[in-house]
Amino acid sequence: MPTPTSSAGGDVHDWGPLVNDLATRRDRALGMGGADRVVRQRELGKLTVRERLDLLLDPGSWVEYGLLADHMDAGLGDRYLAADGAITGVGEIDGRPVAVAAYDFTVMAGSMGAVGETKISRLRAHSLTQRMPFVCLLDSAGARIQSTSGSTFAGAGALFREQVAMSGVVPMVAAMLGHCAAGTAYIPALADFVPMVKGTSSMALGGRHLVKAAVGEDVTEEEMGGSAVHTKISGCADLEVADDAECLQIVRKYLSFFPQHNGEPAPIRATSDPVDRRVDELYDIVPTAPRRAYDMRKVVSAIVDDGDVLWMKPEWAKNLVTALARIGGRPVGVVANQPMVLGGALDVNAADKAARFVWLCDAFNVPLVFLHDVPGFIVGSAVEKQGIIRHGAKMLFAVSEATVPKISVIVRKSYGAGYFVMNGLAYEADYIVAWPTAEIAVMGPDGAVNIIHRRTLDAIGDETERAAKRLELAEEIRANIDPYIAAGHGQLDDVIDPAETRAAIARGLRISAAKHVDRPARKHGVLPV
Amino acid sequence: MHEIKAEIAANVWQVVVEEGQMVAEGDEICILESMKMEIPVITEVPGVVRELHVEPDQTVQEGDLIALIDES
Repeated sequence: MPTPTSSAGGDVHDWGPLVNDLATRRDRALGMGGADRVVRQRELGKLTVRERLDLLLDPGSWVEYGLLADHMDAGLGDRYLAADGAITGVGEIDGRPVAVAAYDFTVMAGSMGAVGETKISRLRAHSLTQRMPFVCLLDSAGARIQSTSGSTFAGAGALFREQVAMSGVVPMVAAMLGHCAAGTAYIPALADFVPMVKGTSSMALGGRHLVKAAVGEDVTEEEMGGSAVHTKISGCADLEVADDAECLQIVRKYLSFFPQHNGEPAPIRATSDPVDRRVDELYDIVPTAPRRAYDMRKVVSAIVDDGDVLWMKPEWAKNLVTALARIGGRPVGVVANQPMVLGGALDVNAADKAARFVWLCDAFNVPLVFLHDVPGFIVGSAVEKQGIIRHGAKMLFAVSEATVPKISVIVRKSYGAGYFVMNGLAYEADYIVAWPTAEIAVMGPDGAVNIIHRRTLDAIGDETERAAKRLELAEEIRANIDPYIAAGHGQLDDVIDPAETRAAIARGLRISAAKHVDRPARKHGVLPV
Repeated sequence: MHEIKAEIAANVWQVVVEEGQMVAEGDEICILESMKMEIPVITEVPGVVRELHVEPDQTVQEGDLIALIDES
């Protein structure tokens, strides 16, 4: 590099030392926590924060804010903390801007320092003002206790309130790329989408050492809050991914379904998959025998564009399937019952999963497609103790509130409140169709017979005779469960050949593309949780 | 030893395997009947069925032990 000098006007100006000093400062910041720490980061199976940004963003699109930041904390002496351990800036994904905050574990374990948090707060404000998605790459031990162990904590915590204010305005992603505790575990809790890297990431309100001290439990980060815990048991995370590279790729894919903010429609993408493609595979996938299980995921894959699906929370509450996909190029959120698991019956977790997903899609103008095959909510004392009434109400609330286009396909069963929460006609379904196998009723014949004809049955002394009578009466009830009865009353818009399912959904989406619903003004409803 | 438990209160409709039988990951152990549906219970691990704790027509509660699989 030539040394910039100037001697114009008679004075001798030497820019060299100034520019060189700047370059040195930049290089030092780009060196992160130093060579040893970078080696250690790689040994842990993780990429560096700079490598992560390269994989997340379109090449050459990164504009960094605060590269030259440091801790500025007298208590830490003359120690240098590159960018104060928090990299912030704006880059592009598929040509659209996103605000990114990335914790650098090589700098004091990615701990949250005052300057770094101020930088991230500025980025959050930027994301909201400029209406662009906010992506947080998390690899942080949590608060920097060395700097903040006293009662100045009284002024802390604005980050979560800021996140809440952003929720539903701009898409928010928290990618879990390291062990995160406390503060950095609440960031994902308030984000829309949380992928976790298997083996190297975790989130927990208390880290391992704190847990040992506070409650005496001896556990590893992985056992307490690893990807297996949060994607299979707690439901706090959305997806388990193999490594950093896959995680960042998934973030790009996830955002492709969403607009930049809630004031834009979801982005339509050209597709070569014919919108009226007949889906003959469905004849093989779905058995007509109503009690027989099948894999609903195959139905979803078969009807969407190019079979391309992003499953959301696929390993948790598996009795309900939630997925992002496209039909005719339009992004859709699919909510579908899964007869393979618990017979597709709804429990507390399935209701939570559905409510959350419906709120997500509705917030960002992503139309919803409901595929019904639900025997109802599970009944019995076990689920009542879990509060299935309030959880079921949550799903009902979310589906009722949603004003995006809502398309329903009754594949087979749709019983009781299960029919309502899966967006029955009364829930402002914009287009509702059924397969010839559809069974819609308040409850199944076997349950109904015991209620309607209990006295008649109790009066029969002989057990064999009673069983025969029960069967006969159940058949009478069954005869009234028929999609052509609902269609005859104009309660279904059509009964369709299963192979026409994709075309029917595309039709519904096209018809309701300009949907507009006004609700009475209110601050917010009183949400069942 | 891998425990297979009932995930829902149900009637046992069919028991598909016998004690001592080898099973592969994803094989059906039994089929429950609940909420108007046949609910297949599968093993997530391969091995030998060491103990079977259910027989047809009995009822199970959520969390009841159905089978023990000896992973090998």
